[in-house]
Amino acid sequence: MSVAAEYGPTGAGGVMDHVGDNIISHVSNSSLEHPLIPLPHIFGIDFSVTKHVLMLWIVSILVSFAVIIPIRKLLKQDKPIPTGWMNALEAVVKFLRDSIIKPNVGNKFADTWAPMILTFFFFILFANGIGLIPIFDIIGSINRFIFNVPASDQHNFINTLLHGSPTATGNFNVTAGLAMITFFSIVIAGTKAHGFFTHWKNMVPPGLAWPVYIILIPIEIIGLLVKPFALTMRLAANMTGGHIAILAILSFMAIFADIFQSVFAGVGMAFISVPMAVAINGLEIIVILVQAYVFTLLSSVFIGMAINVHH
Amino acid sequence: MENLHYFGAALGLGAIVIGAGLGIGRLAAAAAEGIARQPEASDKITAAVNLPLFLLEGVAILGEVFALLIVLMK
Repeated sequence: MSVAAEYGPTGAGGVMDHVGDNIISHVSNSSLEHPLIPLPHIFGIDFSVTKHVLMLWIVSILVSFAVIIPIRKLLKQDKPIPTGWMNALEAVVKFLRDSIIKPNVGNKFADTWAPMILTFFFFILFANGIGLIPIFDIIGSINRFIFNVPASDQHNFINTLLHGSPTATGNFNVTAGLAMITFFSIVIAGTKAHGFFTHWKNMVPPGLAWPVYIILIPIEIIGLLVKPFALTMRLAANMTGGHIAILAILSFMAIFADIFQSVFAGVGMAFISVPMAVAINGLEIIVILVQAYVFTLLSSVFIGMAINVHH
Repeated sequence: MENLHYFGAALGLGAIVIGAGLGIGRLAAAAAEGIARQPEASDKITAAVNLPLFLLEGVAILGEVFALLIVLMK
């Protein structure tokens, strides 16, 4: 959308070559060559702030204002009676505790792990949801057409904001970080419940014939590593996939206008592709809720598997 | 012949959709049937269906990611 304008009139390659780049640049992180806030290298690691890091900051601030501060305020009151927004928060927290955490983690350790799992839920929900709001494209359009800042001006801060997607959870590194927290929580939960060595012994059922262990132990080790890997892939791929679908359907306008070499074909296609994109946006609202729910559910199931060993 | 990877990715995507569709369809059919027979157990049935549904979805998403990687990285 906004990047497409920067390519200018299409050359010999045609629209098709630019559509793919446009979609990829809208679902991936902004490039390291043009960071939003340039920071120095420390120990060989580039600390420059890219779009997804900025979005993580924005999401943390939003979660603080929407969840943490109201709850702290409620706890400070003399009578903890929720009002307004706290009613909604309390309903969500109670639903998650009673239908996800308690049945899976077990009553004994539910209160230990509930804060972490609830943090996962709210963080992922806010990070997913903020990616659906095309706020940067709107700010960029205002910047371009009202304040007349050319797209080629790479030093304009709002122009640098336009690169990359606003969905931080669509980045595999972000979700890998979240999944690593789950991975270490599994180990810590098992260690807290059974002690360090018993936790690792619990991975395989005792009292089997020795040839079974030769097959079973590698399978369990692979399973241990596949759990966070699957969590990573599921969240990031779902968020990226939905956005690719929306952008691909919107790109039909440019593609059809190019195929028939007329503006009217593109405008006519808009009557089909814009309602379809709106419908997929509606589907995405379900997907962001389901993915936040799935991540919390699977995290609590994995933690519960380490605590409640059935053999 | 150098564009065969597109063919493979497209075939793979089709196979993923067939497999995931069959799996999710069977789960949904069984859950609907169970709830129709025993409406009071609908909460338990939904809870039992959720986890395998999401694990199945995870496998399908993994397949899609690898199909996308075939196209992007050749």
